[in-house]
Amino acid sequence: MKRKTLLTLVALVAVAGVAVLGVVGRMVLQPGPYAFAGGRPVALSAYRGPSPTGVPAELALADTVTRGAYVASMADCQACHTAPGGQPFAGGRAFVLPFGTIYTPNLTPDPETGIGNWTDAQFLNAVHRGIAPDGSRYYPAFPYPSYTLLSDEDVLAIKAHLFTLKPVKQANKPNNFGFPYNQRWLMAIWSVLFNPNERFRPVPERSPEWNRGAYLVEAAGHCGECHTPRNLMQALDQRRKFGGGVAEGWTAYNISSDTVSGVGDWSAADLAAYLSTGHARGRGVASGPMAEAVELSLSRLTKSDIGAIVTYLRSVPAVKGDLPVPAGPAPSTPQTVIDNPVGKRIFEGNCASCHAWTGAGAAREEAQLTGVRTVNDPSGANAALMILHGSGAGTPYRPAMPGFGKAYSNDEIAAVTNYVTARFGARASKLTAGDIGRLRDAN
Amino acid sequence: MTAITVNGKIYEVASEARTPLLWVLRDELGLTGTKFGCGIAQCGVCTVHVDGVAVRSCQMPVGTVGQRAVTTIEGVGSTTVGARVQKAWLDLEVVQCGYCQPGQIMAAAALLAANPDPDDNAIDAAMSGNLCRCGTYVRIREGIKHAARS
Ligand code: FES
Ligand code: FES
Repeated sequence: MKRKTLLTLVALVAVAGVAVLGVVGRMVLQPGPYAFAGGRPVALSAYRGPSPTGVPAELALADTVTRGAYVASMADCQACHTAPGGQPFAGGRAFVLPFGTIYTPNLTPDPETGIGNWTDAQFLNAVHRGIAPDGSRYYPAFPYPSYTLLSDEDVLAIKAHLFTLKPVKQANKPNNFGFPYNQRWLMAIWSVLFNPNERFRPVPERSPEWNRGAYLVEAAGHCGECHTPRNLMQALDQRRKFGGGVAEGWTAYNISSDTVSGVGDWSAADLAAYLSTGHARGRGVASGPMAEAVELSLSRLTKSDIGAIVTYLRSVPAVKGDLPVPAGPAPSTPQTVIDNPVGKRIFEGNCASCHAWTGAGAAREEAQLTGVRTVNDPSGANAALMILHGSGAGTPYRPAMPGFGKAYSNDEIAAVTNYVTARFGARASKLTAGDIGRLRDAN
Repeated sequence: MTAITVNGKIYEVASEARTPLLWVLRDELGLTGTKFGCGIAQCGVCTVHVDGVAVRSCQMPVGTVGQRAVTTIEGVGSTTVGARVQKAWLDLEVVQCGYCQPGQIMAAAALLAANPDPDDNAIDAAMSGNLCRCGTYVRIREGIKHAARS
């Protein structure tokens, strides 16, 4: 009898072990970020087509400074490495993660507090492998599993660009992670599992434009860091590539080619306009972290590069989501039965002037609510964040929506968000004051 | 060069297409009856009509006006509804300092053109975005009802 219990126990442990191994194995043994393309990827040096790396052909003859700045824009270093209102690239921007708050480091060439003393090898090691000059490990909030795909030349072009900046003396702030997350050495294990440490490999079976797009999206633009969901070990779940993720409390929507939840029904022109200007008619306005990506990176790219990104994006397989088909226009009078008098009162005083009761947008197309994903997202998270913080890409003369976070209480922001999603969206959000408080903290 | 029609007259506009209509009206065309308050569509003082619909001109790029007819406070008196609203405003002495009133009158006239007999709810929906620092709201509501009856 005893023997039998023991055997059962051993069997159970074995089964559990295999299951855990299976789950972990599935997380670790993932397809690469563009494995969906098939074909037989080759080393960069063996690729016959026009180079997918570096600056686009239009800028091939530009001076080194211009080219360096362009490559740095492609990788969008500035957005994260600048504190709100702080000196560009001097770091200090806070990222609130589930494990604590982390601050980005100073990338200006100050020898003491910045990277002024770094060698090329140290810089490559940091960007490709997530290893600091002192041998300590970076957390993957720094997207080195994407940047690892960048060519050595491009990484060094970024370094050269950073070294043209004025040095700013600004000490790096330590993070406040608790145990065990403060054990940076653990990241060495994480890196072995999740950072392939391999440069971009073009796919000869695909067009040169597609390959350029893949390089811009996967290596430099690191779109998946926000738009691809993460698994339990905080690595990108490439099986649900571009299926939607989270960025600083904002929902980074599904950008796979799914026609309902993703961008499968966007035309190439819609995508190009949205990426390069932060807005496409009927598609809303890039806000939050995406507004920064547009302002500091995408709006600075050439037309050909935006075209390449669009070509690549449209080739990404559909990942189904649970977002509803957007609702049509609302009636032109407020007389729809929505039991939310507070929300209605705030809407009529603050919102109707621009957005109109129909949701068509009163004075300009950017204010259209009809059909826009944010309004047709029953979580209401992004709508609430836009109401709290305002919206609008930072490019000059783009329309800007003011933030109402300082004018209204959490109850009121919840009420107006729920009113807007009920009136203009497919399903009403049910946000509470507590939810709004959490959204305020996430930013 | 963009051409826009304001109060029935065609103007050639030199400003860039993305310039707010409000700036063009005031600075280029000299039609200073339309006021500037916030510049972010939060006060209503810059309200004009574009094809009869009340629009915040501070938010409308002049290049998007196209063929549509712009009416400002200088021209609204030549429409029947506009004239009625202006008369009601005088009859009831609605105005205090007056700064918000061009916007109030334009919003009220657009409301009455679309809805000749608005109830309080309809008035709230159409007029809540027009602020008045002098607090003439009660008289504005009365003025709209007076104009509707006249
Ligand atoms: S100036 Fe246009 S609404 Fe305030
Ligand atoms: S009358 Fe003075 S602001 Fe309205």
